[in-house]
Amino acid sequence: MDSTAEVVKLGPRIMPYLAVLQHDLMTLRASRLVRLWLAATVVLTLMLMAANWTRFQDGPLIASLLFPYLVFPWFFIVVALGVSPVSGSRADVVADGILSRPVSRSAYLLATWSARVVLIWGVYLIVMVPAVIVVTLAKRPVPGDTVTIYGIVSAMGVVGLVLTFLTSLAFLAGTLLRGPLLALVVLVFLWYPVGLILSVFSLEQFSPISLSRAISTQLRQTLSTPRTRADSNARAEETPVLTEGVEYFLKVFSGALSAPKATKPDFFESEEFRDFSLLRIVLGYGVPTVMAVVLAMLCFCWRDL
Amino acid sequence: MESAIHTEHLTKIYRQRLIAVNDMNLDVPQGSVFGLLGPNGAGKTTTLRLLLGLQRPTAGRAEVFGKVCGPNAVRVRSQIGYLPTNPRLPGHLRPIEYLDLLGKLCRLPSQVRKPRISALLRTVGLLGATEQRIETFSTGMCTRLGIAASLVADPPLLLWDEPTAGLDPSARRFTLDLIRELGKTKTVVVATHILSDIDQICDHIGVMHEGRMIFTGSTQDMKKRLRCEDFKLELDGDAEEIGRLAHDLARLEGVDVRLDAGPALLVRMTKDHSCAGVLAEVLKSVDNANLSLKAIHSGPNATEDAYLQLLQEHEAHGFHC
Repeated sequence: MDSTAEVVKLGPRIMPYLAVLQHDLMTLRASRLVRLWLAATVVLTLMLMAANWTRFQDGPLIASLLFPYLVFPWFFIVVALGVSPVSGSRADVVADGILSRPVSRSAYLLATWSARVVLIWGVYLIVMVPAVIVVTLAKRPVPGDTVTIYGIVSAMGVVGLVLTFLTSLAFLAGTLLRGPLLALVVLVFLWYPVGLILSVFSLEQFSPISLSRAISTQLRQTLSTPRTRADSNARAEETPVLTEGVEYFLKVFSGALSAPKATKPDFFESEEFRDFSLLRIVLGYGVPTVMAVVLAMLCFCWRDL
Repeated sequence: MESAIHTEHLTKIYRQRLIAVNDMNLDVPQGSVFGLLGPNGAGKTTTLRLLLGLQRPTAGRAEVFGKVCGPNAVRVRSQIGYLPTNPRLPGHLRPIEYLDLLGKLCRLPSQVRKPRISALLRTVGLLGATEQRIETFSTGMCTRLGIAASLVADPPLLLWDEPTAGLDPSARRFTLDLIRELGKTKTVVVATHILSDIDQICDHIGVMHEGRMIFTGSTQDMKKRLRCEDFKLELDGDAEEIGRLAHDLARLEGVDVRLDAGPALLVRMTKDHSCAGVLAEVLKSVDNANLSLKAIHSGPNATEDAYLQLLQEHEAHGFHC
């Protein structure tokens, strides 16, 4: 069969998926939550940039800009966007309006998940890409840094992956628990002590706090050059600076809050800190993301609406 | 005649507590306008949702045009146009956007979708409201749009759940006329508890009560189940004369006559006598009594009476239909 015929056949097949994706994206884009989030993330990024402009080198400054996406406060928004598609009163509208049509449940779920992921990545990149360009190209009264394009892309990719994972987790929770509020509460209680849970299994490097601290080092990585002991030492020296940055961020954001402490402070001082591996992080977040989506699909495909 | 819908021992029990559909065996003939009749909570909506695959049967099976229904039965749903009760529509969309979305969900190419949408909007009388968002629509307009939505893919089977609920008389008339028209080319299932609607549009009826299908058959079959046929004669004349007439008529064989307010006579005929023959005798007596006949009402509530009779029988007999 020639490729044109295949494309013609594929078109109608994915038409429902594309229709739901487009519809959900338009609905989300028009929602107050997303508009407020976009405005708030712009304001916060500008505040962080202004506050740290003369204090941090490129790496720590970009890492501090990424911190709100990894730890606090955008976690709430991402989760809130993820829990809603097939839970609560929306489930009835979905059942009556869309799933009573010739659309498979898996196609619908995949489309709504994709819409949320695309939207969250969109908001994140719309704000972060210009901010990172400004930070790296501007002449600032700080010593020069060795941030690389590969490092920026991979670090931002890791943060995006964590956001995708959070969306998928919220998606699964919303599908399983059916009530968006209940799912939100469960996820907050599950996600905040996640560092503690991960430390029990010696998986601290996957915790958002650990990632936020390791991001500035990742920003200096190159695709071809392996990491050296010197890099690792530089990273270890930077840890207090980053911690200070996090403290500063939390003070800026909420006034009196103290900085979150690593569950095992010695983790960042030990040799293990050097083991930050992009592949492990990608697998560590990527595999659960896929599992969450698959589980949500299995659950949704067989339940009553 | 082939069945558009076929169910075998279809059962739905919610959380081991509530029996919504109870061992239902149903055949809906192709090309019929089938009225699914029953009081609130009888299981009509659940039955429709089982056919659509929105819910999974606890036991038994359902087929639409020979294909088994289920959550992932996309091919079954492509044959069905569904109108839910008081459809909940996406309020932020405009009618054309909504119908276009549904057309895409039904995999209709643009060159088919666009003309059909405008034709449907004209049919349901919403051409003047295409600029409005759906959230500004009245109940009647939402139902009209829901009707258009169910027809987007031009499916051979329509499942309409209480299509006249909340409609004003003109919208109701429009909906009933549309069902009658659609019934010429499609199989239409109308779930309702409004008996007059069923009486006007349906040629087949299924009566549900407490999850069970207690009667299926033609509308005529159902009316035949009535124990007797009643007539009400509205008369004009002296009350004493009317009383005398009632007394005389009571002597006729095979007829039971009672005086009613109005003044009127209620004439009930027993089954083993010719309805036409007895009625002719009655009318002759009226003429002889020099009373003027204002109107004859011949069983205007026949379907309602038969329906209520069915429900009473079902409640009295328990397991037996």
